[in-house]
Amino acid sequence: MHFKVRAAAKEDCKEISRMIMELAVYENMADQVKTSHEDLKRDGFSPNPFYECLIAEVPDEHKTKDGHCLAGRSTCGHVSVSGQRQPGYTVVGYALYFYTYSTWKGRSVYMEDLYVMPDFRGKGIGTGLMAKVAQVGVEKQCVRLQLSVLEWNKPSLDFYIAKGAEDLTAKEGWHFLRFHGQTLDTLAKEAPKD
Amino acid sequence: MDRFKLRKAEPKDVPDLLRLIKELAKYEDMEDQVILTEKDLLEDGFGDHPFYHCLVAEDPSEQSPVVIGFAMYYFTYDPWIGKLLYLEDFFVMKEYRGFGIGSEILKLLSHMAVKSRCSSMHFIVAEGNQASIEFYKRRGAADLSLEEGWRLFKIDKSSLLKMSSAEE
Repeated sequence: MHFKVRAAAKEDCKEISRMIMELAVYENMADQVKTSHEDLKRDGFSPNPFYECLIAEVPDEHKTKDGHCLAGRSTCGHVSVSGQRQPGYTVVGYALYFYTYSTWKGRSVYMEDLYVMPDFRGKGIGTGLMAKVAQVGVEKQCVRLQLSVLEWNKPSLDFYIAKGAEDLTAKEGWHFLRFHGQTLDTLAKEAPKD
Repeated sequence: MDRFKLRKAEPKDVPDLLRLIKELAKYEDMEDQVILTEKDLLEDGFGDHPFYHCLVAEDPSEQSPVVIGFAMYYFTYDPWIGKLLYLEDFFVMKEYRGFGIGSEILKLLSHMAVKSRCSSMHFIVAEGNQASIEFYKRRGAADLSLEEGWRLFKIDKSSLLKMSSAEE
């Protein structure tokens, strides 16, 4: 299947938001999604962006059987006001990433989300998106790419391991921790005054 | 704790930062994995596109102030909740522990996270490092690897090159 990978434009934020929710549903965590497409626009397309995003598109003749992209929404072939989205193409996947830093190794790229809509899997689109993230990372002199996967998500685990990914949680015992919401506020209130 | 000072790192702190990075790596039994140089740290933290931010803790009581602790962090993004503060490294020299310096650094980082509209502060800890895990859990940290099953993966440069050349 012919597909294209390109940098996301701010007009893509509604589509990205839709797919973020689809990925969260797949991970059984839909109730945790709080961002809107407006948040994504502000955070990814201002002078100081907090992430970068790649979009995968297919020509309209490959859109899903019911003639829509998803659940009756007809976004196929839509051209945005700025004309950046190409007519006749449908957004079917995305990769969201940002740059991180390792005090041991230096610049790294972290791939936060990689998603391809179910009807478009098995056609090399996920591989194409990830290869582009890898290429961007190498161009920025990053020495590695990191990502995280849920332990039960066997298709994804297999996908990444086939590309050379190593499980650092299994190999070196790394765990993700966080201070979130109330626990963060509590700590913040006790900070030393300026 | 009043004896010590917390401030933003400056370019002149780079030699001390590398010294402390190596001390932390030694504590984690991974000293030989530090390949970063002072030149990398200077360019990557204080150049046109900073990849990290840093706080340092100083002991001003010596003839000239000595950097005795640091925290390196940067901002990341969670598509579900937005901006996050990611704590990459956090270390206080052995002889300066037990004075509350680590606690004060963590509180200042939390305050900075809240001020910049981050809903969460994330970091990783090796499961063998019980002292650090207890330090964080006592202050309310949740272990997402245990609670939700998240595993961290890495892909090294050789595999990245392979992937990006297959793309052509």
